[in-house]
Formats: sequence, structure tokens, C-alpha cells
Amino acid sequence: MANTLQTPPQTSAKAERLEAPPAAKRFAFLTDRKLSFLFISPALALLVFLSIWPLLWLLGLSFTDYSATRDTGWGFIGVDNYVEVLTSPVVHARALTTLIFVLGAVGLQTILGFTIAFLISRRVKGRGAITTLFLIPMMLSPIVVGLFWKFMLDVQFGVVNSFLDSLGFGRVEWLTQQRLALFSLVIVDTWQWTPFIMLIALAGLTAVPKYLYEAAEIDRASEWFKFRRITFPLVWPLLLIAIMFRAIEAFRLFDLVYILTGGGPGGTTETLSFNVYKVAFFGFDTGLASAYGILMVIVVTIAAQFYLRYLNRLQEG
Amino acid sequence: MKGRFAVSASLTAMAAAVTLAACGGDDGGSGGDADKAPAKQAASALSDKPMDLTFIWFDWPPAKALEELGKEYTKTRPNVTVKVNTVPNPQWHDAIFTQFAARKTNFDLPILDSQNIGEAVDNGSILDLTDFVKENIDTSQYDPYFLAAYGQYPQNTTGKADPDAKTYGLPLLGDTWSMIWRKDLMGDTPPATWEDMIAAAKKCQDENKGMSGLAFHQAGTGDAAAVTYNVMNALYGGELWNQQDKKIDGVINDAAGKKAMDVLVNQMVPLTPKGSSNWFIDEVNAAISQGKVCVGFQWIAAMGGLLDPASSELGKTKEEILDKLAFAPLPKQVTDKKPLGGMGLHVSKYIPAEKQAEALNFIKWFQTPEAQKKWAQLGGVPARNDVLNSPDFLEATPYNKVFTDSVSQLKDFWNLPEYAKLLNVHSTQVNAAISGTQQPEAALDKLAKDEQKILDESGGL
Repeated sequence: MANTLQTPPQTSAKAERLEAPPAAKRFAFLTDRKLSFLFISPALALLVFLSIWPLLWLLGLSFTDYSATRDTGWGFIGVDNYVEVLTSPVVHARALTTLIFVLGAVGLQTILGFTIAFLISRRVKGRGAITTLFLIPMMLSPIVVGLFWKFMLDVQFGVVNSFLDSLGFGRVEWLTQQRLALFSLVIVDTWQWTPFIMLIALAGLTAVPKYLYEAAEIDRASEWFKFRRITFPLVWPLLLIAIMFRAIEAFRLFDLVYILTGGGPGGTTETLSFNVYKVAFFGFDTGLASAYGILMVIVVTIAAQFYLRYLNRLQEG
Repeated sequence: MKGRFAVSASLTAMAAAVTLAACGGDDGGSGGDADKAPAKQAASALSDKPMDLTFIWFDWPPAKALEELGKEYTKTRPNVTVKVNTVPNPQWHDAIFTQFAARKTNFDLPILDSQNIGEAVDNGSILDLTDFVKENIDTSQYDPYFLAAYGQYPQNTTGKADPDAKTYGLPLLGDTWSMIWRKDLMGDTPPATWEDMIAAAKKCQDENKGMSGLAFHQAGTGDAAAVTYNVMNALYGGELWNQQDKKIDGVINDAAGKKAMDVLVNQMVPLTPKGSSNWFIDEVNAAISQGKVCVGFQWIAAMGGLLDPASSELGKTKEEILDKLAFAPLPKQVTDKKPLGGMGLHVSKYIPAEKQAEALNFIKWFQTPEAQKKWAQLGGVPARNDVLNSPDFLEATPYNKVFTDSVSQLKDFWNLPEYAKLLNVHSTQVNAAISGTQQPEAALDKLAKDEQKILDESGGL
């Protein structure tokens, strides 16, 4: 048996100095900090070049009367562009249209997306195939979706109206009647983006621990009770994140308006993004359009901040 | 917290610095090689190197015809291939002017709407052709109005060519609206007046179940609804503006303008197919070809497909279709004005001198009677008087004569740098009236007020 009770040496052995191999010595100046900076610098440079610099450039232009096509240079005009955007009745009208669209589309998508996810999550057989099928609209380009629906909703030549007509309901002016045109945009956007909400809701639903349901069943809880007290509270924070992403996307809706209604009838389906496009490219009021864009970014950022704070409180609570 | 403040402060300082830098980024001049190579010099600098001569236009049959015509040009200049890039009509203006904004174009000859010349000239983006035209083109062969509308800026108040005005383009394609009517249902004689036409269309609609009386451009995009209102306004004796006093408000919405809007919204729109307030060129052609309407109005250059049996339900041959359709100039009312359509040929300032020289050479070639005749055969609408009145042109299609007969009565939009902004208001408000989103008179008053504001803010007109 080995003697394990040896007396420790009185003087500590001289620590062996670690020597880097010759190749590594050459890069001794590369400290961990420098190395990490080196690794992230290409991505950082790309980000600065593609996102931050244009944003700052945009900010600079927003204080000028610059026009991209005019040969007259630019002049500093302070906050005139911001005042013009904020006091314009046209912008107010477009903001209202955008708000109605965002509330309508995102609300409808949330209800439908969650419902579909809930139904799919309860069905085990073919869940993967059904989920994949539901995801198809989301994978299509919005321009393709717009053209596809434009043909379908056409009053004279569209398949939707032919079907309605054959059922005796008559033809509906989906894209040319003021209220219906905005409603049609909501429907088309909902068709395309409900799967996004569904996908996130499904992830949340499948992550709910089974033992909670088992415990509830032991207590003979009803289905409604289980949904109200277990399913919904656990999925809701995840759903709120999906809603935020969708709301930001819906807020900058452009492509569907451009293809489906062109902003008509009489400009009543023009959203803020569509209006910015007109300011920027009809007459090239670049400075004004820059201020308009900056204001939109500010609105979205502030709204998102409030939303995230609510989300944090919800998670902490 | 202190650290966060420091980061915020640094970011703010950096943003301010970059903003100042951004504001200081004015490139000042423009034109690139353009200013160094005016048209006169460019014309004498033809190169024998292989090159593409590229046009930009919107996607419609004349664009294909132009590329076909380019093959004729290649016979005279074998090193040159003519290409015509096309974009959808609503993107036409943006596609050209965003490249002008970048001071670099991937096209050599932009085909501009007559109303866009002002904007392009104001931006310094197209070549001044004044000297080139004086030396190389026989302008006596053109109706002076064409030279003024398709090429000169500032456009003469009278609409006639001003010998002292600067020239920035020459006519490529002349155009106006033609009335197309179902002679098998309405008789061979075209209605004498606009109001007779409306009455005849209503009668035809009432007598033929499932058919609508009228089809015309109503969309709020492009210049669709805007041209429709301008037609009505001109026919009832109205004016778009008073160019001398720079007045729109009080001019376009005077009694004649209001009468025109009233006729358009209250008499014509009820005769159109349901849901047609977003119709433009293609939809009107489709409605006529499918036999859904009694009377249609269309740009002549866009009517080629109407006689194509493959896309028509009116007959299995061209002759069968022509047994049913007839074409005539627009009926008169208080005046006999017709809308000027078509476009001019221009040269980008942002291309190398050798390309500018080739572009000018193409323009010179294009204006020869031979090229113009070939252009007419391919479906283009030429602008030279001798070609317009030649049997070759008049007999090439059943509707070419409509253009020749209309030439002396043509009337254009405003040609101002602010055209795109004015057009946006014009189209949106007319479409609002047509679609019932606004009362006709309120829409016209808003149109006048908003356009006046744009004009007033534009300054140095």
C-alpha cells in the first residue's frame, strides 16, 4: 500500500515556464481581445457599409432639400422636411390606412394562425405534411402572390367572381371599391402570412410540458380549463414575438399595394411605404422622402420598445 | 448607467459627424462626359468597334417593333446591335430617372414621354440636340406641334414649335386615341359628337344583354385616368392651366372643366363594365376583343392585338373581326381636340462619346423616309408628314388614317419638371371621382388646389 501521508515539500517547486512554439511566437501580439475583434470585423464592416452608413446618410439627407436627379446641389433646411411630413393631411390619411391594415391583417393572422396550430398540434398523424402544406404561401414572393390574386379577384375575368356569380351572389368589386380594396389587401396578406404565426404558435404548443396536462387530467380539469390555464399562458409570450415581427412587416407593406391596387381607388389603399415611394420617385424629393423614412423608423422603434418592455414584464411576471 | 450614457453620447457624436459628412457630399456637377461631348461633336465620332445601342421603353408591341427596326439599322452599321430593354409601364419613368439620378445609365437612348422632357432637361440628363437637328434633320417634314411636344423645352406656350427653342429630342412614335366601335351593332357611321357617342353606346348596351356601352382608361396609375379626363376637358373647351400666369386652380376647375368631369363620371362611367375603374391598355383591349363592349377608346400604337384572331372572340380571321369593328377619330363636342400620345427619341448624357455619336447617327437614320416607312410597316406610328400621308402608311392598318386625320387637333399635357408630381395628383383624383371615392366636383377642386401648390412651390418656372 502506498504511503499517502507524505509530508509536502517545504519549498515549492519552481513553476515551469510555458514556452510557446516558435510559430505561435510570431503571433504573440494577437491577444484574445484583438483576435475576437479581427474575427468580427469583416461582418462589422459589412454591417456598417450596408446598414449603418446608409442610415446615417439618410439622416443627413433628411435635413436638406436634396433631390437625387436635380442638378442643383442641396441646401440645409433644418427640420422643414420633418414638419412637412408630420403636418401633411395626405400622410395622416396614409397613416390611418396603414394602421387599419396592420390591425386587420395581424389580428386576423394571429387568430387563424393560432387556431390552425392548435388544431394541428392535437393531431399526430400527418402533422409534418400538413404543416409543410400550410407553409407554401409564405415561401412565395409577394409580387407573385400579388399577381396571382390580382387575376383571381378581377371583376370581369377573375375566378373568384366567376364562382360567386355561378352561385348567384353577383360579382364583387374586390379591388376597385374603397372599403373592399383594403379588405382584399388584408385577406391576401393573411393568406400569405398566417403560416408564419402558425409556425411559431406550433413551436410554442409542442413545447408545453406534458406533465402539466397530466396533472390537470388527474384533477379532472376540462379542455377549456386546460387551454385557458396551461396552453394559452405558455404560448402567449412566443405568440407576442410573432405578432411583433408581423406588425413590423405589415407596417411597411408595399409590394401587395403596388401590384394589387396601385394605391387605388383614389389613393385609398395607399400605405405609408407606398406614399414614401411616391415622394421619393415622383419628382425625386429625396430629402423629404428621407425624413419620411426616418420618421417611420422612429415610430416602429418606439412601438417595438414599448412592446418589448411589455413582453419582458410578462415573462418576469 | 454611466457607461450606457457614454456609449449613447459617442454614438450621437458619431452620427452628427457622419451626418455633416453626408451633407457635404454634394457632387455638384453632372453629366460626366456629356458636357465635354456636345451633340455636334459627337456626331462626327462614329466608332467601328462592335457595340450595342440600347433603348429603354415600356413593354408593349412598338418596343418589339423598334428592336426589329434595329436590324435594318444594323445593315447600315454592321458593328452595331440595337437592343430595346423594356419595363412594365408603371415602372417606365422610375427605371429611367433612377439611373439618371445615379449619373450612369445602362441605356443609350431613353424613350421619354413628351411630358418628361422638362424633368430630364432640368436634371441635365439628356443631350441638347439643337445644333445636331439644325444641321442634320429636315424639320419642315414634321408638324410643328410634334417638334414642340416631343423635343423642345421649354415648350412653346402655343404648343407650336419655336424656332429659337432648344431641342432635346425628335419624334419616335406619334400617337393619339382612336374610337373603336361595333359597327355590326351600331351601324357603319361613327357618331358625330361626343354626346351622340354616349347616347349610341347606351342604346347599344340596352339592346345587347351582357354588353357594356363603353371601355376606356380609368386606372389611377400611370397617366391612364389623367388622359381620360384631359380628353373630356379639352372636348368641352377646358384648359389644363394658364401657362402665362402659371395658374391651374380656377382654370382646370372652371365651368368647362366641371362639365367635363360631370359627363365623365355621371354619363360615361355608368356605361362601363363593373369594376373597370382600374383598367388601362390591356384591359380595354381584352374587353373589346372579347365582345364585352360597344365602344372603346385606345391609343393607336397599342391596338395591334385587336385584329389578332388568336386573341379575339369577334372572328376567326382578321376580315371577320373587321366586319364587326370600325375605327374613327374621337368625335368632337365643343372643340375637336384629341390627346397627344407617343414619345420622343433622346440621348443619355451619361454615356461615352462614341455611344452618343452612334445614338445620334441612329436618330439621323431613323428620320429618313425609308426608315420611317419601314417603321410604319412594323406597326410603329411615324411622325413625318410625307410618310403619314403616304398610301403605304394609310393602308397598312385600318386605323392608321385615324392618326393622320387627328394630327392637326392634338393637344398635350403640361411639360414641366414637376410633371411626375402633377400627374400623380391628376391620376389619383380623377380615379377617385371615377371610382366614387370622391364627388366629381370635390375631386376636381382638390386636384386643382394640390396641383397649384406643386406649381407654386416649384419656384423658377
